[in-house]
Amino acid sequence: MRRSAAEVALSLGVLALGVGVAGVTATLPSEGGYAGIGPNFIPGVVGAGIILLGLWLAFEAFTGGWRNAAPDDAAARGEHAFQGAGFAWISAGLFVHMALIGWAGFVVAGVVLFACVARGFGSVRIARDLGLGLVLSIAIYAFFVQLLNVNLPAGWLAPLLGTAGI
Amino acid sequence: MEAFEALLAGFGVALKPINLLWGFIGVTLGTFVGVLPGVGPALTVAMLLPLTAKLDPTGALIMFAGIYYGAMFGGSTTTILLNTPGESASIATALEGNRMAKAGRAGPALATAAIGSFVAGTIATVLLTLLAPLVVEVALKFGPAEYFSLMVFAFITVSAVLGTSTVRGLTSLFLGLFFGLVGIDGQTGQPRFAFGVGELLDGVDVVVLAVGLFAVGEALYVAAYQSRLTETLEKLKGSIWMSKADWKRSWPAWLRATGIGFPFGTIPAGGAEIPTFLSYTVEKKLSKHPEEFGKGAIEGVAGPEAANNASATGVLVPLLTLGIPTSATAAILLGAFQNYGIQPGPLLFQSQAELVWGLIASLYVGNVILLILNLPLIGIWVKVLEIPKDILYASILVFATLGAYSLHQSWVDLLMLYVFGLLGFAMRRWDIPVAPAVIGLILGPLAETQFRRALSISQGDPSVFFTQPISAGFLAVTAALVVVPWVVRRARRRKAT
Repeated sequence: MRRSAAEVALSLGVLALGVGVAGVTATLPSEGGYAGIGPNFIPGVVGAGIILLGLWLAFEAFTGGWRNAAPDDAAARGEHAFQGAGFAWISAGLFVHMALIGWAGFVVAGVVLFACVARGFGSVRIARDLGLGLVLSIAIYAFFVQLLNVNLPAGWLAPLLGTAGI
Repeated sequence: MEAFEALLAGFGVALKPINLLWGFIGVTLGTFVGVLPGVGPALTVAMLLPLTAKLDPTGALIMFAGIYYGAMFGGSTTTILLNTPGESASIATALEGNRMAKAGRAGPALATAAIGSFVAGTIATVLLTLLAPLVVEVALKFGPAEYFSLMVFAFITVSAVLGTSTVRGLTSLFLGLFFGLVGIDGQTGQPRFAFGVGELLDGVDVVVLAVGLFAVGEALYVAAYQSRLTETLEKLKGSIWMSKADWKRSWPAWLRATGIGFPFGTIPAGGAEIPTFLSYTVEKKLSKHPEEFGKGAIEGVAGPEAANNASATGVLVPLLTLGIPTSATAAILLGAFQNYGIQPGPLLFQSQAELVWGLIASLYVGNVILLILNLPLIGIWVKVLEIPKDILYASILVFATLGAYSLHQSWVDLLMLYVFGLLGFAMRRWDIPVAPAVIGLILGPLAETQFRRALSISQGDPSVFFTQPISAGFLAVTAALVVVPWVVRRARRRKAT
């Protein structure tokens, strides 16, 4: 019988989320005026629902696998095997971007993110990616800050962006 | 006649030069982003939402009408030339459109899609104009109990009835409902699931959820499973105009598809997926050239594309008149409305008639803009398709992070974006539908409000949902939708063994 470790893990993850929601709900107040139900009622229903769905998913996972699911074999889905490197480069890019944007600024963070994502898709032309990322980030920055008055951090490039009138 | 006068006033709003300009910008941007492979209409609308941050509500909504239609049309161009459907509703088009392109008839395929979208969109907008005031009249009689039951009906149809798996659809819905609970409870001011984090007190923003699921999740997925695949972009050669025979075969398909697409759009039936397939099947059955199907039959493009657009317009009926989104894209549009403090529903037709009818009028205008803009610009859209994947996804993510970051100028929103990206990756890989989560996030809090209001009125007596006839009717239909297929399946299985 088919059993996928990922499906079991996801089912248990849903179950755990439901238990977590129920646990937090228990700390919420229940007084509710005329309605007779308070701010904890619907969270309780949602928590209970997630627990039941987690159990249902787990039941399917343990009894032949999730029904009508996509095939586990990547080739059967018309795709190639999992490329961890691509996944990792994009994740890394997003985390570095998160860390940089506040103090290094939108443009610097954008350039790094652009280069990392391009690398994740197999690009090896780092100079081109950094250049394109710079052009795109400055264009977006100028458009949003100048035309739409959206507040974006200038960061390290503040002196440059300032003198360029951006 | 009242609606007609209101519509005329609406045209007065939509045809103001500045609003016309927003319409043009919306259609162009919507098409441009919609053409990008892997970017469906929901993501297009979510990504372009920050652009309207500083506009007045009417201008912003008119721009959104343009983006909405542009994104729909852009997707069909991608499907015909690249055979990578950006969304499930384009799969039917891919069957015939891409084969036509392979046979050197990309031009007529794109033309029948564009003109069919215009015809279907315009007829559907007329139907919307006629139908909306009637629905509003009925909806004005709804109280909180009726609204709540109607929302339950919408929840169940979009998650449990359609799709490959009831349990996975419901799981997606409940995840969305949970995300909707995060933040300050609107009725008591009680913070819930915020854990003292300021960014969470404001609740989960629909842009962060949608962009995370659709853009970050998609990028992670494509990089992991599809980045080494090669795709063939079909060349656009020969005339883009349709021959006389093409016209003759297209127009009945457009009309039939409008009749199929619009009603399916107005009910919560999961958007455009069912009507496009239904239209494809109908055209195949009625065609005088059934042997061409599977090899590039023009009816197979004309029908599904028209059905797609008609249902996209139909979706606006429950969205505008009842405030109920029935597709992921509609849920994001509702989020955009809420950003302006506008709550769609029957009362909006009275309190902000100018805005609503301006929006409906701009749908007519948007369809015209789409037609005159897209066929001449087709060369540009083809160029957009030539952007290599690495640059494409890098640009999408730089733009996607902007929308999340500009909410609070905080990295916490970016972290949420990544978490939703991981979720989107898992949902894509293990076949969990995404739309119910987006709808749950937006509709969940509204449903809770109506539920508590109904109970306040009945002094806490829950029987109110079953004793009011309209409310009881909605719940009975919902129960039947769940129980009947299950019973039928069981009976069949028993018969088989």
